[in-house]
Amino acid sequence: MPAVDVKSPIPGTFYRSPAPGEPPFVAEGERVSADTVIGNIELMKQFNEVFAGVGGILTAFMIADAEAVDSDAVLAIISTD
Amino acid sequence: MLEIIKHGLETTVQELPGRIGYWEQGFPPSGPADAWSFRLANLLAGNPRDTAALEWQFIGPTLRFHRDGVIALTGAETAARLDDKSVPMWQTIPVRAGQVLACSPAKTGARGYVAISGGLATANVLGSRATFHMAGLGGLGAGALKAGQQVPLGESGATHKLMRVVDSARPPIAPAASAGTIDNRIAAMLGPNDTWLDDDSIMMFFDSEWTVSTQSNRTGLRMSGPQFTFSAQAYAKPAEHGSEPSNILDHGYPVGGISIAGQTPIIFIHDSPSAGGFFVPFTVPRFDLWRLGQARPHEKLRFRRTSMAQANEGRRRLDKLCSLQSLIEIDTVDA
Repeated sequence: MPAVDVKSPIPGTFYRSPAPGEPPFVAEGERVSADTVIGNIELMKQFNEVFAGVGGILTAFMIADAEAVDSDAVLAIISTD
Repeated sequence: MLEIIKHGLETTVQELPGRIGYWEQGFPPSGPADAWSFRLANLLAGNPRDTAALEWQFIGPTLRFHRDGVIALTGAETAARLDDKSVPMWQTIPVRAGQVLACSPAKTGARGYVAISGGLATANVLGSRATFHMAGLGGLGAGALKAGQQVPLGESGATHKLMRVVDSARPPIAPAASAGTIDNRIAAMLGPNDTWLDDDSIMMFFDSEWTVSTQSNRTGLRMSGPQFTFSAQAYAKPAEHGSEPSNILDHGYPVGGISIAGQTPIIFIHDSPSAGGFFVPFTVPRFDLWRLGQARPHEKLRFRRTSMAQANEGRRRLDKLCSLQSLIEIDTVDA
């Protein structure tokens, strides 16, 4: 199965769940489709949704919750079907 | 007409000098966050330098042109394509009716500009086309532009010179890694309320690295760094000033003012609140505001102490750079 990087288009802070204390949008090992939201990036006091972009199994997050990211950072890896 | 196919992130119509004269009613000046890049874009497109043009933030827009003319891209670095051909920044680009310009997310810097020959002819609101997005003012009546909208254009000349900006006249929009070096320090003057900090804190401010927060936008740049300590004045004050050392009786904020909110410095920029109850020990003079407009989240900023005379000199130097003297001709084409 080919692996696809999900990259951040923008710099900001990456959040894996919609709010503190809530379960993550997606757990590692879960199946996602192209339009699945896998996280939020905070920038300019706004939360910008990050979509999986491809269908498959999200095998790993490369950025921890609430960690800083720059544009083009690899956020997660998806094994496509 | 200019068609917005993708709006990017809060892409707005901006104009200079902005919405001047209504601050006492709460309307900030707005205008481009990096006026240096903005003015060069207009000059490249054959417009007077203060003409209404687009400002995009972090994610550039995709636009379709409905008439022939020229455009120019300046500011934050973007890999832009006109139809399927990549186009350079900092020079005049001829466009034909029907062509589509797609801008990539910013590689360096935060805000990019797209100027179009003839300028944008949106409605004047309180004397300006500048957008104040939070109040839904400017653009097509609701602040930032949205996909599907058609933006009216002004009258454009029949022929256009193809120009480019000489390297020495471009703002040095540094990659995040080199920000905070001596050449990239942001000018700041003491005042209006520097006596509310103690001497150690004033030295500490200019000696420290400050990290731009993701909670920063065109209203203000929020930063994190070391803790401030205060002078006796911040404690020995009437109760109506407020309970925190950083509280002061509500006063007007200058654009570029660096306020202290508890322990968080917040720099007010173009869409700033007009007044509030935090003291303002330092102010970034107008000529260096563009650096704040191009700061990215998590970037490290440093400041250098500037006098009024140096600030005025900086303003005159920048004013000269934002002129036709900074452009060299490449070619002339019929539109």
